[in-house]
Amino acid sequence: MKKAFLIVILTIVAFGILNAETKLKMELWNRWTYKMVDGDVEKNELALKRGYFRIEPKFSENIKGRFNVDFFSDEDGLDGAGLKIKYAYLDFNNLLPIKDAKLTVGLMKTYFGTIYDWDYTVIDKDPSDKYKFVSSTDYGFGVFGYFPKGYGTYALAVYNGEGYKKTGGDINKDLNYAANLRFTPVPGVTIGGSYMFKSKYDSQIEDETARGDMVDNPDREEYNLIAGVGKFAYGPVSLLAQYLNKVKSKPNMDDYDDVTTTVMSFMPVFKVNNKFDIVGRYDMYDPNTDEDDDGYNIIIAGFNYHIMRDSKNKPKLFIQTNYEIKQYEHEDSEDESEILIQLRWIFSETINKGK
Amino acid sequence: MKKLIFTITLLALIVVPALAKKENKITIAGSTTVLPIAQATAEVFMDKNPEINISVRGGGSSVGIASIIAGTVDIGDASRHIKSKELVQAREKGIDPYENVIANDAIAIILHKDNPINGLTLEQIKDIYTGKIQNWKEVDGPNMPIVIISRDVSSGTFEVFNTKVLSGATGASGSLMLASNNAVATTVKDTPGAIGYAGLGYVTDKIKAIEVNGIFPSKQTVQNKKYPIARTLHMYTNGTPKGIVKDYIDFILSSEGQELIEEQGFISVK
Repeated sequence: MKKAFLIVILTIVAFGILNAETKLKMELWNRWTYKMVDGDVEKNELALKRGYFRIEPKFSENIKGRFNVDFFSDEDGLDGAGLKIKYAYLDFNNLLPIKDAKLTVGLMKTYFGTIYDWDYTVIDKDPSDKYKFVSSTDYGFGVFGYFPKGYGTYALAVYNGEGYKKTGGDINKDLNYAANLRFTPVPGVTIGGSYMFKSKYDSQIEDETARGDMVDNPDREEYNLIAGVGKFAYGPVSLLAQYLNKVKSKPNMDDYDDVTTTVMSFMPVFKVNNKFDIVGRYDMYDPNTDEDDDGYNIIIAGFNYHIMRDSKNKPKLFIQTNYEIKQYEHEDSEDESEILIQLRWIFSETINKGK
Repeated sequence: MKKLIFTITLLALIVVPALAKKENKITIAGSTTVLPIAQATAEVFMDKNPEINISVRGGGSSVGIASIIAGTVDIGDASRHIKSKELVQAREKGIDPYENVIANDAIAIILHKDNPINGLTLEQIKDIYTGKIQNWKEVDGPNMPIVIISRDVSSGTFEVFNTKVLSGATGASGSLMLASNNAVATTVKDTPGAIGYAGLGYVTDKIKAIEVNGIFPSKQTVQNKKYPIARTLHMYTNGTPKGIVKDYIDFILSSEGQELIEEQGFISVK
């Protein structure tokens, strides 16, 4: 499914760039990381942590595409660099008989929690991404739409289930199913929730001892994922709160105890002025609720200083500074602390305007 | 203790100016169509209220609405309605975009004044803008290539034209995309084979506005909804206008303000 999608999307996008209004965008994250564990310096590096080049051709008012190549510093990559395709999808507006709804096909956003609109207000990843609940993009198709009068958004999607990083034939063939809702009943108050069902390994396999008989596969894994999101904004202050819950089960194994993973995350932001934001985040991660002292908490404090913004007030050039502490529950594990200073700059231009 | 005092003082220096309310200043940005209305009404309003300062800039409807969402202006001008995506973004950020309709307008189809064509149908205009018709002789005009002048994609005028005339069809390659109504009017004035579109307020005797489907753009044909490419013009505020912003918008909606709007070539909402 992945290869076929990719070939079709790449062909259409390449054709589109020459013949359609196309937005070109590039973003670079140059980051200095200084990490200490138990008083020892574990990391002191300057790297291009992420950069991407994005092409968004607009074939018509109703068909748009996005193709995104990510690049980053990577010791194991060719000449110290890594490369991956992050997005390759097409949006079809007005194809469905629903107002303000679009159908998306390809390597697309994962509509779960806040991962699909995470803008890295703090340097760290979205909680669903950081704690490996879901991959930020995956191959599939889905419907995304807006409720009338700005009351929120909805999404339903089916994914390949392996994310954008894995390629080749030996990948999971079970599909993932996701549903996502966001409501903003009054300005400044948003509540939302997501559900995703994931599975791995066929439910039934051929029994090796009997000819052709199909038997339950004990390795079969099923995951039920839930996200609850609350966003509050008033004047210069905002708070994002998120609860994540993942239950892993093996339905064909009688003596297997389900593993429940939970995350609570809070991210307050104080926008001092158009140049300066004070940011914070507090995460509580528990990989298995049946076990004690296996999790950790993360505390982040920092600021964003905006040097330049574009005409729509979107960030163009800014510095992010974060101080991050990781506190393990287990008393034998030493706390870790990191200082991260990141320069992000963004370039975008639209070519073939109005074509 | 000294450290604590230093920290509190530093925070106060950062936070207090940010929270301090700006008095007697109104900032406006957005649509270049609405720009002359904002400028003309701001000038008179400031003459009447010398203690109030109004800063006005253009940028396009998308910029006006984005600025309201970002909270960087008091009024975001737009010659189109806010989109669903923008409305959701705004509400999630605690912004409640309120649409103040301040004027009516027609998007006039304009030609070089020496062009003998006096009218086109919507279908013919669409065919010109999508490249199916490339010479004026195909619409009973002179044997002269058509030069298509359009607006940039962040323009509300472009969005309305795109919806009402092109119906979402792809524009012709080689169209000249300009950043303001004024630039379109000037280019059409200087280019014999040109066709463009602009708000009624930008139509002067140096260019020629034509009939669309047999209807000439005018106050009467817009108000009786006969002219097919008509629209309303807006000033978006965060919630219903309050304080001096309310006073300014009330002034625009007063008979004096609406007269100023008509003087600029637009159509009153009264």
